[in-house]
Amino acid sequence: MSTSTTDLTHGHDDDAVKVPLLERIPGRGSAAAWPLGLAGVLILVGGTFLSWSYTSDVLGDLSVDFYPNGVQICMIALGVAALLFLLAHRGPLHRFGEWLDTAAAVRVLGLGAVAYMVITLGIIAYQSGGLVNINPGGWISLLGALLLAASGLMLVSRQHRDPLFAKTSSWLEISTIVVLMALVLFGAAYALDIGDGGSFLLFLLFVSAVALALTRAGAFTWVGLIAQKNRPVLMLGAFAVAFLFPFTQGGSDENMSIATQVLIFAATALGLNIVVGLAGLLDLGYIAFLGAGAYVGAVLSASAFATIDWKPPFIVVVLVGALFSAMLGLIIGSPTLRVSGDYLAIVTLAFGEIFRFTMGNLDGSNGPDITNGPNGIPAIPDLAIGSFDFGQPHTIAGITLGRFANYYFLLLLIAAIIILVFTRLNNSRIGRGWVAIREDEKAAEAMGVNVFGLKLFAFAGGAFLAGMAGTVKAHHDVSVTPDQYIFLESAFLLAAIVLGGMGTVAGVIVGATILKLLPEKLRFIADYRLLIFGLVLVLMMRFRPEGLIASHRRKLEFHEDDEELAQRIEAVHLEETEVKA
Amino acid sequence: MTDFLQQIVNGLTIGSLYALIAVGYTVVYGIVQLINFAHGEVFMIGAFGALATWTVLFKGQTGLWVLPVMVLGAVLVSVLTAVVMERIAYRPLRGAPRLAPLITAIGISVFLQEAVRLFYPGAKSKLVFPEIDVVTGTALSIGGLSIQRAAVFTVGALVLSAALLWYFVNRTRLGQGMQAVSQDPDTAQLMGINVNRIIVIAFAVGAALAALAGVAQGLLNSNIDFRMGFLAGLKAFTAAVLGGIGNIQGAVVGGLTLGIAESMATQFIPGQFGGSAWKDVWAFVLLILVLVFRPQGLLGARVVDRA
Amino acid sequence: MAQRSVMTVGASLLVASLALAGCGTRGENEDTGSTTGGDAKVAKIGVIAPLSGDLSALGKGIQHSVELAVKQANESKAIEGWTLEVEAVDDEGKADVGKNGATKLASDDEVVGVVGNLNSSVSQQTQPVFAAANITQISPANTGPSLTRGADGNARPYKTFFRTCTTDIAQGGFAAKFLIEQGIKTVATIHDKKTYGQGLVQYFTEAYKAAGGTVVAAETINPDESNYAPVVSKVAPSKPGAVYYGGEYPQAGPLSKQMKAGGLNVPLMGGDGIFDPKYIELAGSTSNGDLATSVGEPTENSDAGKKFLADYEAAKYAEPAAAYGGYSYDAANAIIEALKVSLKDADDAKSARQATVDAVGKVSFDGVTGKVSFDEFGDTLVKVITGYKVEGGKWVSVKSENVS
Repeated sequence: MSTSTTDLTHGHDDDAVKVPLLERIPGRGSAAAWPLGLAGVLILVGGTFLSWSYTSDVLGDLSVDFYPNGVQICMIALGVAALLFLLAHRGPLHRFGEWLDTAAAVRVLGLGAVAYMVITLGIIAYQSGGLVNINPGGWISLLGALLLAASGLMLVSRQHRDPLFAKTSSWLEISTIVVLMALVLFGAAYALDIGDGGSFLLFLLFVSAVALALTRAGAFTWVGLIAQKNRPVLMLGAFAVAFLFPFTQGGSDENMSIATQVLIFAATALGLNIVVGLAGLLDLGYIAFLGAGAYVGAVLSASAFATIDWKPPFIVVVLVGALFSAMLGLIIGSPTLRVSGDYLAIVTLAFGEIFRFTMGNLDGSNGPDITNGPNGIPAIPDLAIGSFDFGQPHTIAGITLGRFANYYFLLLLIAAIIILVFTRLNNSRIGRGWVAIREDEKAAEAMGVNVFGLKLFAFAGGAFLAGMAGTVKAHHDVSVTPDQYIFLESAFLLAAIVLGGMGTVAGVIVGATILKLLPEKLRFIADYRLLIFGLVLVLMMRFRPEGLIASHRRKLEFHEDDEELAQRIEAVHLEETEVKA
Repeated sequence: MTDFLQQIVNGLTIGSLYALIAVGYTVVYGIVQLINFAHGEVFMIGAFGALATWTVLFKGQTGLWVLPVMVLGAVLVSVLTAVVMERIAYRPLRGAPRLAPLITAIGISVFLQEAVRLFYPGAKSKLVFPEIDVVTGTALSIGGLSIQRAAVFTVGALVLSAALLWYFVNRTRLGQGMQAVSQDPDTAQLMGINVNRIIVIAFAVGAALAALAGVAQGLLNSNIDFRMGFLAGLKAFTAAVLGGIGNIQGAVVGGLTLGIAESMATQFIPGQFGGSAWKDVWAFVLLILVLVFRPQGLLGARVVDRA
Repeated sequence: MAQRSVMTVGASLLVASLALAGCGTRGENEDTGSTTGGDAKVAKIGVIAPLSGDLSALGKGIQHSVELAVKQANESKAIEGWTLEVEAVDDEGKADVGKNGATKLASDDEVVGVVGNLNSSVSQQTQPVFAAANITQISPANTGPSLTRGADGNARPYKTFFRTCTTDIAQGGFAAKFLIEQGIKTVATIHDKKTYGQGLVQYFTEAYKAAGGTVVAAETINPDESNYAPVVSKVAPSKPGAVYYGGEYPQAGPLSKQMKAGGLNVPLMGGDGIFDPKYIELAGSTSNGDLATSVGEPTENSDAGKKFLADYEAAKYAEPAAAYGGYSYDAANAIIEALKVSLKDADDAKSARQATVDAVGKVSFDGVTGKVSFDEFGDTLVKVITGYKVEGGKWVSVKSENVS
């Protein structure tokens, strides 16, 4: 021990007492930190009003003085956010600062701003061939960002109270939810409108910096709590946002086409989430159930290539498709659910491949003519429910809604049904049974849980929901071919759940959106898309296995030995029960 | 009759490939209860390692003497991949819920495929595998049967490596350590066995055999591509389950059975549901049937269920 | 007083900033004027093909060939008062992504015509999108008959869809005749269970039987695998005079090699999917005598073909023209020919879409792959097909014929 103390005096503190890196920053806690931050914000925002780039064709157009464009406006917004936190740290908004870790927020925003500026300037220099093309405005904003980051690193967090116990009036809570929802809607519409990959990447960086800052400050703990308290408002708000989204697109189909695909993907992933996230059964062939639904939808449609002459109304087709899918789930599940989980993963994978091969074979030459083989079933007509033709644009309140918007609303309905089923099941006796099975199958069985029955129910139920989505997909896609249902698609579905957060609705929707939207917008990484995808899966499992938006239960499962987390989750739980009572 | 024997020969050839890969699944599963889903990719990387060795060192040469060096190159690359994979991706997840390593495995699998596709020159399409004297060329003809020379190499490789593996597992200290860990890792650790080392060795052994299979497949089909690991890996896993997972003899028996079953399905299932279009379907149906009626596999699983 | 001065400073800043903003320009790029000459209106030709992933080599070839055609049209001022541009989107070879791409092109008011897709399964989903927007779509590569002829073969489903490549019917028919002429009366067919391969084998089989040949075995392979020994063993005892393979060279090359190594020493024949130097590389030295058909006159025989390849070379694109370069070049030129008519009196690109569709149906000019003109289904009228044989490690043309 004596040696370690002498070491300490010499500054070799690495192995003796671990001092966090943050504590060792020079000037830490100095009184200059706060004014430095203010100056940083001013310089940062000031720089955005000047030209950043000499050439006008990079990232939209950054070459105009006193006329900030999207990329620069994001920087202004970031600066304003940092200003608010600084003022909450010390100054007029002091009262809010009591509840939040303002220093951490400023730190995140500052570092985010630096990253943002470095990437922006990097893109300018790369695309127009050299650092010369960066105009003074860019350098000024970078300086501001650096000052802000320095200030954030020097600021010391004050003692703050846990926002969990903040007593707030319900109007404030509800209006917070409304404002957040509106921001989501606006952000989504704005993000989808961005044409070039660079600007999109920067917008993403901006959103993540702000979100991370709010998380670090502890604001999201409070938001999570009020979301729990005002669940109906939240759900209503979320659906209102989703419902209003097509109206922001001004009749353009370009983004609606992506949005409908995100919805199909998210709805399917939500179904898979019941199987994987709730019941803990790893299904690697889930895309086959979507495919089964799609094929039923196609074969029973009015397409000239359809092989069955029965043309029931669409609602019947949806039911048939879903039941057919569920039946396949039963057939594949009943023998394999008795064996251990790892086998199930491989058997479902094999089943996915069997499905694809079979659909390719049932063409009249290698089997009965049902699916038209590798050619698939093209030219599936648009849906028409009553007099409402999904193929035609409709005008509501002066805003034209195109073909994809029509499907979007239908898919939204299906997604709502799946979410409803998901949440009701999760909070029911069945859901608790699933959790018990997931945690410890043998203990669950000993406690009288019908393990096999519940597993089978999860499996078939998940298949049912996917089949339902599949029937709509057939009409939306116009054609159904076997090569749409390859293993990689199943892996993508699974990745959406892993990325977003197993067992949560919001997480899966976020995951699905990320996986479908990013490749569309970031075309320049197109060739590296799968490489990054694989890497992200590995890294997620290593560093954040519970996903971006984790359910408390899951989080605890993956971090069993984290006592502090356990206590905190318990506290949250108690608070929630109190609120409910 | 000739048809029958010919398909037996074909089945044994493909089955030997499956068996070589299946050993990797079984050894690793027997010790850490992990389906190393990326094992198929280790096999693929082995084939590319052999090709790279040939391209760099012996381009244009076809003498038999280059083959051992190619195999060595393949084994080195595969073992390195497998060991690194174990160290940085799987080891930190030991003790995590079982979903985690499986998803990691899928991630690694996709990553390795893409890495080869993007960074190995020309790997975006199929690459020609070199022809080596004696082991490739005109088929041998024995009593009306045509036997590819590379098939002899493949079966020979399986026999040799199975014998070596048997010796290693049963007659060496390391091998016995491996058995001990597979039966009870905690007790084994108490007895002074370095469990981490044993696990690394299990990965390495599996990778070496997969690399050999990679070379064999290259010789047999005269081409390789970055996607060859997926289906082969899936089939090999089926073979491992078929024989009884965790059981090394089982993997060999399972691989040969699956190979023969596939060839037979191509030749002898009559009518619309026969032929090569359905052979993969029948292979997977076989897997499901085995799991229903004999989940412990043909020779019995040697895994203590600790789940 | 203090407030007052803030106001003054603020106001003057505002005025100054407005003045400066007035000086700046946003959106209008000044140097575009020099190349286009004055206020030329812009019309775009879209390209939709796999630009990333494992099919990207073919997709990039399509993209660059269209770019070449457009560049030449702009240089020769083919359309007075208009500048043509190329808008390329990636479909990754996937139907979903393709549809997004098509929707994106369709919502761009300047797009009047599109060259693509490569895969029939993707085209199936993009056809209705372009049809709804009245945009001409010319595929350089889709050979499935139902794309232009519908389910029963005589009703055109989408008036906006054309193609410069021939259908499987023409190629399969020619291949059947070609084989019979070579004295081969028995054949085994193998295909890869994909749209192209299966279609080709289907139409080949019909024509071959009609011409008096016998199909002694019909098998399939899984294109994800590369060991075809069981299939070869199954086919071999029926002693066919040749194997007709429906599919592409990555499978056909190894299949040819494994056939010969497995004792089935007969030629393998395929369609334009195997007509590629890479086939011979994969099939090795035993591929001598293998046969293939491809659409159009042999490129080295036609002046237009030679010129195209030379121009392509001169333009220094990063990727080669690949298998569908010529068809894509012709497709782009067909659109450009049509635009000469449709854009003449048009105010903007969008209003010329319908006229372009009508005009494409009537074009007729000499292209790289032969005469370019379309029948009432949108199929190309040129049906010159050439038979090739591998001799000494090279494809050598044997005969050409107009099969229309």
